[in-house]
Amino acid sequence: MKKKEHNNQAPETHSNGVLTVKNVTKKFGPNVVLDNVSLTIEKGETTVVIGPSGCGKTVLIKHLIALLRPTSGEVYFKDRRIDNLNEQELNGVRTHYGFLFQGGALFDSLSVFENIIFPIRQHGKIGNWKEVEELVKAKLAIVGLDGFQNYYPANLSGGQRKRVALARAIALNPEVILYDEPTTGLDPIRSDVINELILKLQEELGVTTVVVTHDMTSAYKIADRIIMLHNGKIVADGDADHIRNHPHPVVQQFISGQVSEDDLAILRMSGSISQAQFLPRDFEA
Amino acid sequence: MFATLGAKAVEDVTNIGQFGRFVWQTAGACLRSLCNHRTYPLIWTQMHIIGVRSVPVVMVTGAFVGMTLAVQTYSQLAGMGLEERLGVLINISVVKELGPVLAAVMLAGRVGGALTAELGTMNVTEQIDAVRSMGTDPIRYLVAPRVLACLLLTPFLIIYADLMGILGGYFVGVMQLGINSWAYWDFSASGVELWDVAVGVVKGVFFGTAIAVISCYKGFTCKEGAQGVGQACTEAFVASFISILALDFALVVIFKAIYNIFWPFRSLVG
Repeated sequence: MKKKEHNNQAPETHSNGVLTVKNVTKKFGPNVVLDNVSLTIEKGETTVVIGPSGCGKTVLIKHLIALLRPTSGEVYFKDRRIDNLNEQELNGVRTHYGFLFQGGALFDSLSVFENIIFPIRQHGKIGNWKEVEELVKAKLAIVGLDGFQNYYPANLSGGQRKRVALARAIALNPEVILYDEPTTGLDPIRSDVINELILKLQEELGVTTVVVTHDMTSAYKIADRIIMLHNGKIVADGDADHIRNHPHPVVQQFISGQVSEDDLAILRMSGSISQAQFLPRDFEA
Repeated sequence: MFATLGAKAVEDVTNIGQFGRFVWQTAGACLRSLCNHRTYPLIWTQMHIIGVRSVPVVMVTGAFVGMTLAVQTYSQLAGMGLEERLGVLINISVVKELGPVLAAVMLAGRVGGALTAELGTMNVTEQIDAVRSMGTDPIRYLVAPRVLACLLLTPFLIIYADLMGILGGYFVGVMQLGINSWAYWDFSASGVELWDVAVGVVKGVFFGTAIAVISCYKGFTCKEGAQGVGQACTEAFVASFISILALDFALVVIFKAIYNIFWPFRSLVG
């Protein structure tokens, strides 16, 4: 993939992109979380958004599906502006999306089967129950959990919950799948299972994929394009090699997972642990 | 100081505006749900959770209200030789005021707390965002069935509370304190009108709606974490309780005015 320059300027056109963010600024009170961000996500591309915790990754991905509205700027799905639509108008647009939330966000009171048929029940006509059962079976087979239909989310492990949530996200055969920290909280093997699933869905269904993560192993494995956010701005945008060799010190520090000299200085100034006042052993609350 | 006051005023106005918008959206969603038979199963489910499961606590509340009233008022009435009028005093108090208000307060605790905790937990675990992300209106899917169930079943729960209050008063007054059974019922029948029963039951529609709407709103807007959910539950109960008392006062004034229009002399004679 051709390397790209920092892309904080408004795109000239958004006709080739499935998702377009144009000069988006998002403020929560006095805090500026996204600062004039612009980007275009092409059809069939897997874009990974990386960055330190609190840099605005999740806020950005929620703008792509209009779960959050920008303070200023515009968001487009294909050629349609979506940030100014009302919730009823958005319901139709959102059927083109699948969203995997960080914790899965499965409905606790519903079984795995009921969770997966939820979007089908809301938007499709359930004429033949046998067909619905087959559909759920097929979606669960994709994520390797066929046979878990009657389980409840509380009976599943973290990785299984994410896989069921993924099965639910693809229930309506979406054109775009958004993943919010898909590997967070999983062991390396389970994380790789999720990575393989993301690749499989992208290859077999040809969906446009946006992944928010700070797991660089995952990012390098699945990304066609990596975007790095820092303090609400895009500081790097390109393929994996471009990011690896990026000259920006913040990018190098993040991808190598090293603490900065400034942070180390603060730690040194804060004194040694042995100097801290501990409560006496016979202390009683 | 002015800046703090100004910020607080802006925050309060914003909250009132958000609540007004939520109420408006909920009203629209309820009307659409009533016209769409696909949402009926959701309403039935909530009716079972909110209505059927509340019957025991509401009945116990009503029974104790009736029994307590009988014990408290018997000695005063007996002192004046009016103990046979105990029935009318208990029954009119239960049917017009204490039954509806205390049943509603009980529901605000049992149902309102559960609604806020459930929706608040769904909010902080992104389940409400998940509903939205799948192209479904969370107010239509989550709020409307709960509000409709509460609105439709609170009047019936009040009837249960009234019945148990009357029976509780009868048990203490007639079976424990020895008042003549015929006199108890006769005075009750002459003193309690169908209007009084209807007023109490109609109050239930307003109380039920207030409890459900406030509790759902608090759940939808609750802050992150266990403390946020707990705080939302507390706020929902306090707001529901005050709303019940305020609505009760407003409805009493309104119904009194209506009664005086239709039966202008009865209140003077009675």
